[in-house]
Amino acid sequence: MATHALSPVAAPAARGWLYGWLTTTDHKKIGIMYVVNSFIFFLIGGILALVVRTELAQPGLQFLTDEHVYNEMFTMHASIMIFLFVIPMLAGLGNYVVPLQIGAPDMAFPRINALSLWMLPLAGVLLVSSFFVGGAPAAGWTSYPPLSLDGPLRSPGAGQDLWIVSLILIGTSSILGAINFLVTIFKMRAPGMTLFRMPIMVWTVLVTSVLVLMATPVITSALVMLFIDRNYGGHFFDPVGGGSAVLYQNVFWFYSHPAVYVMILPAMGVISEVLPVFSRKPLFGYKAFIFATAGIGALGFSVWAHHMFTTGAVFLPFFSLLTFMIAVPTGVKMFNWVFTMFRGQLTFSTPLIFALGFLTMFLIGGINGAFSASVPVDFALHDTYWVVAHLHYVLFGGSVFGVFAGIYYWFPKMTGRMLGEGLGKIQFVIMFVGFNLTFFPMHMLGIQGMPRRIADYAGDAGWNDWNLAATIGGFLIAVSLLPFIWNVFVSLRSGKVAGDDPWEANTLEWATSSPPPPYNFDHLPEIRSERPLFDARHGRAEH
Amino acid sequence: MSSTPRKRPAPDALVAGGVVVILIALVAAVFLSGLGSSLYPPEAATKQAGEIRGLYDIVFAVAVAIFVVVEGLIIWSVLRYRRKPGDDGLPAQTHGNNLVEVIWTLVPTAIVLFLFVISWQTLNSVDTVSAKPDIRIHAIAGQFAWQFEYLDANGNKVASQLTPVYDTDTGAGGMAVPVGRSVQVTLDSPDVIHAFYVPRFLFKRDVVPGQTNRFEFTVDEKEAGQVFRGQCAELCGAGHRSMLFNVIALSAADYDAWLQALIAKSNATPAPPTGDVVLNLTAKDIAYDTKALEVPADTPFTIAFQNQDPAGVPHDVDIRDASGAVLANQEPINGGTSANYSYQGLPAGTYTFICSIHPVPNMTGTLTVK
Repeated sequence: MATHALSPVAAPAARGWLYGWLTTTDHKKIGIMYVVNSFIFFLIGGILALVVRTELAQPGLQFLTDEHVYNEMFTMHASIMIFLFVIPMLAGLGNYVVPLQIGAPDMAFPRINALSLWMLPLAGVLLVSSFFVGGAPAAGWTSYPPLSLDGPLRSPGAGQDLWIVSLILIGTSSILGAINFLVTIFKMRAPGMTLFRMPIMVWTVLVTSVLVLMATPVITSALVMLFIDRNYGGHFFDPVGGGSAVLYQNVFWFYSHPAVYVMILPAMGVISEVLPVFSRKPLFGYKAFIFATAGIGALGFSVWAHHMFTTGAVFLPFFSLLTFMIAVPTGVKMFNWVFTMFRGQLTFSTPLIFALGFLTMFLIGGINGAFSASVPVDFALHDTYWVVAHLHYVLFGGSVFGVFAGIYYWFPKMTGRMLGEGLGKIQFVIMFVGFNLTFFPMHMLGIQGMPRRIADYAGDAGWNDWNLAATIGGFLIAVSLLPFIWNVFVSLRSGKVAGDDPWEANTLEWATSSPPPPYNFDHLPEIRSERPLFDARHGRAEH
Repeated sequence: MSSTPRKRPAPDALVAGGVVVILIALVAAVFLSGLGSSLYPPEAATKQAGEIRGLYDIVFAVAVAIFVVVEGLIIWSVLRYRRKPGDDGLPAQTHGNNLVEVIWTLVPTAIVLFLFVISWQTLNSVDTVSAKPDIRIHAIAGQFAWQFEYLDANGNKVASQLTPVYDTDTGAGGMAVPVGRSVQVTLDSPDVIHAFYVPRFLFKRDVVPGQTNRFEFTVDEKEAGQVFRGQCAELCGAGHRSMLFNVIALSAADYDAWLQALIAKSNATPAPPTGDVVLNLTAKDIAYDTKALEVPADTPFTIAFQNQDPAGVPHDVDIRDASGAVLANQEPINGGTSANYSYQGLPAGTYTFICSIHPVPNMTGTLTVK
């Protein structure tokens, strides 16, 4: 493939390397900066998690003597991981990949794309700065009022306000990004790229963008009301003034449950790119997969109250039924993935290894979630470590393994160099063992009665061994990142040169050079199916 | 499948058989080693918990079955369909199969509908409250302590239990209930959201300010004499983990005696101050009115303590030494009441007086003894 750019009408003035990155509107550079920024916050959030696990390793308060500080740690851990790592990390992969996969030169609104990116580090700095201006937020990432309202023993101080402002900024970034994705996908597809020829990754970003666009304004309204309650004497959520504490939960989860799908659907998209390529087969049931994705998105708006089964203030059978129903499209996807491998020819490169990790961990995360759909069982499990196990099997075992599958898969395209296979597999093994050692015992802790968010537990409750195991596993996860960081460092300097298409892949991003030139393509192959490169390689007859 | 049949059926069958045997052996090993039992809830202590446990067992069995089938398919595909040397031709390009896709949509739908229906049935049974329960208890969860008011059939308070945790040495404290009789608990919070959670009840219910929740349970007869752990399960602030309580299951006769003793204690007039040294201390808005008290060494003294916070916000005045060891542990009193706390003489030195329910800076002071 040719590597020179389409020449713009007027050549821009020569700029420095750093200036070029800071002012770029190229979706590829923006996507890479999304990924790097998100990874930095992944490390910060991870350190906070290690602080939490260190305190819980043994009964008694040893490491953090102040319980309030403990509450700050898990609140910041979750807030950073959700809003500054998983969501923007997947948005970053989408940002890099989507225009390439649909044969577009860039996103529809490149400057707004840059704005979406640069709001994130600003919001992140605001949130983290709360540690230095009187204490971080400590009411949990859910920040339920009245605990998150102003007052002694509640959440006095600027930390909670900074949390609100930071989340509104991130939400605005997400909304702008979602509009940008939607316009790009609907208006900028290359000739021949019909909707039902789009790669699944693009479809998952499309559905995710719809979710973001419909749900994010709702949590923004909740955050603004919370801000008014805290600072201007409002009483939206304060029962003392005639407000409703449960109202906040309804509005919060109306966003935050779809947000779970925002955090998992693009990772499913990554897996759906990786599995066919490394199985040398098309995705089994392409259209069914798309309908399942749309179905999950639609159902995602009608299950929010399953986070509130124990409040005594929601209609239980309705939300129970719809929550159970989500298992159906999710199951369809699982079978599609497995049958993609079935009778294929599997090559166990690192992207496929991480994708297999995703399948197994997400399978557990789906099954243990169904327990909570059964309302009486949820009465036992809600707000215990079972839920912590469940959400990490989905968001770490699912999303994070998916993210690493995507990074190993697209790193050659982004940089022109391959990541080392050996280090990648070492990372996977340590991470997989550490992950299961951390989070599987949390099922036992939860079912035996250990609530979430407690700084300490009785030494005779029978929870000591599982907690110690979880802490050791947590540090293993941290160790697993060292070979990854080293891998990136070494590969950037002296990794194997990738070439245009190192994986014999199917989709358009592999039809241009690695890394692609500005505006992406000199010319495009014919697009007659969802696998244009496969067609170019093997001809339509093989299809 | 629209693909061509495989040429080597024998390895297929071998690998499939191997995977199934290994998975079943693994699951069996997990359960035989006792690890599996830690995936079960603790023994159910109430009639309602027994039903939830029965439901859990069904959900768990379905979950294990689904896991074994799908995980087996994954492992089998990984082992069987590795790309081998000589695999140069493309595998069959199967795009889908309507029949199997319909099957794996309909079968899971049937499974989840079944689970929903049995869950709903159990829900209707465990989540009902009767108009005339045998026992009524009003549980108040405030930052960071529980209190339990015992009500008569008309809902009037007859006694208050301000010590939520059972003391194995003295037998004081805890929420006693009779076995075999229906107990209805109403839940209120004066401040933030808490949750009433007893693991052996397999049950929790949020305590939401501005909204009275209620639930009902009947402790099994065989549990008489047992003490169950309970704990707040909804993050409620810096004292969240210390919001513990116990439920004590008693036979009917023991329960009646226990309740009469609590009624007598609730109605007793506060003890008058003893000794010559009497200090005044008031708590209001979750703060002591003074942070510094002074008493002579080795002389017993009394603190005349007033709790001016609203009912539902208990306080006390404990004394701790520099290492945090509790030297004097007083019983908390409810908002709107007062008490005279008596203390033994202390050697000269500096101590901390603190509210054990709100161990925050505003309710921590320095007691100087000289």
